Amino acid sequence: MGTDGRDTGIRVVIVDDHSIFRSGLRADLDGTLAVVGEAADVPAAIEVIRATKPDVVLLDVHLPGGDDVDATGGAAVIAGCAGVPTRFLALSVSDAAEDVVRVIRAGARGYITKGSSGAEVSSAVRAVADGDAVFSPRLAGFVLDAFGAVAGETATANDELDRLSAREQEVMRLIARGYAYKEVATELFISIKTVETHVSAVLRKLQLSSRHELTVWASERRLL
Amino acid sequence: MSITAARAVPRPAAPATRVRPPLRRPRECAVSGVCAGLAVHLGAPVWAVRALFVVLSVFGVGVLLYAWFWALVPWDAPAGDVDAAEHTHRAERAPTRRAPVAWPLVVAAGVGAVLLLGGGGLPYSVAVVVLVATVLAAMSAGVWAALIDRRDPARGPRHALAVRVAAALVLATVFALMLSLLASGGGVTQFVLTMLPLVGLVIVLSSTLIEKWRELSGERIRRIREEQRSEMAAHLHDSVLQTLALIQNRAGASSEAARLARAQERELRAWLYDGDAPADSDLSTDLRDYAGGLELDYPVRIDVVSAGLSTERASGELAAAAREAMLNAARHAGGDVSVYIEGGATGVDVFIRDRGAGFDLDTVPGDRLGVRESVIGRMRRAGGSATVRSDTGGTEVHLRIVGTGEARGH
Repeated sequence: MGTDGRDTGIRVVIVDDHSIFRSGLRADLDGTLAVVGEAADVPAAIEVIRATKPDVVLLDVHLPGGDDVDATGGAAVIAGCAGVPTRFLALSVSDAAEDVVRVIRAGARGYITKGSSGAEVSSAVRAVADGDAVFSPRLAGFVLDAFGAVAGETATANDELDRLSAREQEVMRLIARGYAYKEVATELFISIKTVETHVSAVLRKLQLSSRHELTVWASERRLL
Repeated sequence: MSITAARAVPRPAAPATRVRPPLRRPRECAVSGVCAGLAVHLGAPVWAVRALFVVLSVFGVGVLLYAWFWALVPWDAPAGDVDAAEHTHRAERAPTRRAPVAWPLVVAAGVGAVLLLGGGGLPYSVAVVVLVATVLAAMSAGVWAALIDRRDPARGPRHALAVRVAAALVLATVFALMLSLLASGGGVTQFVLTMLPLVGLVIVLSSTLIEKWRELSGERIRRIREEQRSEMAAHLHDSVLQTLALIQNRAGASSEAARLARAQERELRAWLYDGDAPADSDLSTDLRDYAGGLELDYPVRIDVVSAGLSTERASGELAAAAREAMLNAARHAGGDVSVYIEGGATGVDVFIRDRGAGFDLDTVPGDRLGVRESVIGRMRRAGGSATVRSDTGGTEVHLRIVGTGEARGH
C-alpha cells in the first residue's frame, strides 16, 4: 500500500487473522479512513505497525503467534508496539469479558464487536483517533458491575482508581442504556467534550485499577 | 433355562403382542435388584423368583446365574431428567439397597472370631473352615462397604467407615491370635493360615484406594471431555463465529441475513459457553432469550446488557412488563433497541430504549392496552413504577421495582 494516507485522512492498520474479515472491513470503512496496512498474526502486526505508524490499529483480540498458545495475541501486539505513537481499537467476536478486559488493560482505547456495521466501526475509529475511548453498552455495564457502582460504591476522591465518581457512574449508566455520547451530553446538560473526558477517565481506571474484582468478574461472567 | 421357559409359556389372557418391560434392575432394590428386575420382566411375583434362585443355589447353578445377571443386567434409568442426572448428580443417584448387606457379614465375622478365640476345643478341620469363613466374611463386608455402600445415598461414607473399621478390627484380632499360635510352633500350612487374615486386612484397607482411583479416573474423563469441548469451542470460535460476524457486518444491521446470522450466533454461543451451566431463569437470561425471539420476528436488533446480580425471577411482573415494552419497541420502532437491566441493592431497574419516531402517550386511544395496561398498570399493581419518555429521538421505558430483600441476592 505504501504511504498514501492523505493529510486529512486517518491512517488505519487492520490486524485480524481472517483475510476475508480484513477485506470485508476494508471495503466497509468509509472514505475518510485510509487503510495503510494489514497483518494476520502478532509478529507481522508488530512489523507493519512499526513500519507504517498508523493513527489507529483495528486489533482482533484473538490472534495467532502470541506468546500464549491459546491465541489471545491482541495484548501481545500492543506490548510489542510500545513506543509507537498509535492507538488501538480492539475488535472482538467473543464478548468474553476476560479477553476484552485483558486487551483494554494492555492499552487499547476501547472495543467494538465484529458484528458492528462499517459505519459503526468507522465512527469508532474516528473517536479513537481523536483520543476518545470507545465504550459499548456491554462494556459500560461490565464497568458498572466490576467497579461496584451497582452495589452503591462511589469514589470520594478525584484520583481514586478503584471506584467510579458519581458523574462517571451517570455517564456509564446512560451508555449502558444505549445513549450515544451526544445524547448523554444532552441528558446530563454537559458538553460532549466533558462526556468524553469522563469516559476517558473510566477507561484509565479500567486500565490501571488493581481492583481484584476486575479479573474475578471477568472470568466469572463470560459474557460482557 | 428358566427365562426361556417362562417366555415360551403362552398367555391366552393377554394379547399376543404384549410387550415385556425391559430387563432392568430397579434402582431401589433389596440387594442387587436381580430378582426384582427379573420379576418385573417376567411378570412373576418377586418371592417366586427369589425362591427359584434359592432352590437353584442348592445345586450351585443359582449362584452362578445370579452373578451372571448381576454383572450383565443394567440399572434402570434414573427417574426424571436423565441427562442432568447423569451429568451432575451421579453420586447422588447411585442405587440404594434396602438390605444391610455389610452388617450381617461383619456380625458373622465377629461370631467366627469369637469362636476362634474361645474355641480351643474345636477340631482342627472345623477351626480352619471357621477361620477361612471369618476372613472371607470380614473381607467382603469391608469391600462391600467401601465400593458399594459408600455411594448409597441411604448409607454413605460414615456407615462405610464404621463397617470397615469393624471388619479391620476382626481381621486384626484374628491375625494376632494366629500369630500367637504360630509363635508356639507350626509348619507351612500354619504360616499360610496366619497370613490369610493379613491378606484380608490389606484388601479391606486398600479398597479405599480403589474408590480413590475410581474418583480420579472419573475426574480425568471429565477433564478430557472439558478439554475436547473447549478445543472445539476455540475452533468454532475461530471459524464459524467469525463468519457469522462477517455476515452481520456485510449484510447491514436489520436485514434478514444479518438477523438470521445473529440468531445463529446467539445459539452457537449459548451452546459453546453455557453448555454446562444450569439453565437458570433469572431476569437477564430470560430477557436475552426473549430478545432473540423478537429479532427473528421483527427487523430489530436488541442489545441486552445487565449489571449487578439480578435475582429477580423471570416469571415476575417486572419481567412481563419488560417483555411487553420490548415487544412494543420491536413492533413500532424497529432498528436498534437497547435493554439495560441493573439489579442493585435497593431494587431492580430495567430500561428499554428504541430510536423510533416516538409517540405521545396521551394520544394513544384508550382501547389500546399495550403500554397503559401491560406496562404501566402492571408495574403499579406489582408495587413498582413505570415511566415512559418519548420524543422524536425515540422512546425509553424505565421500569423499576423496589427490592423486598428476599428477592435481592448478595
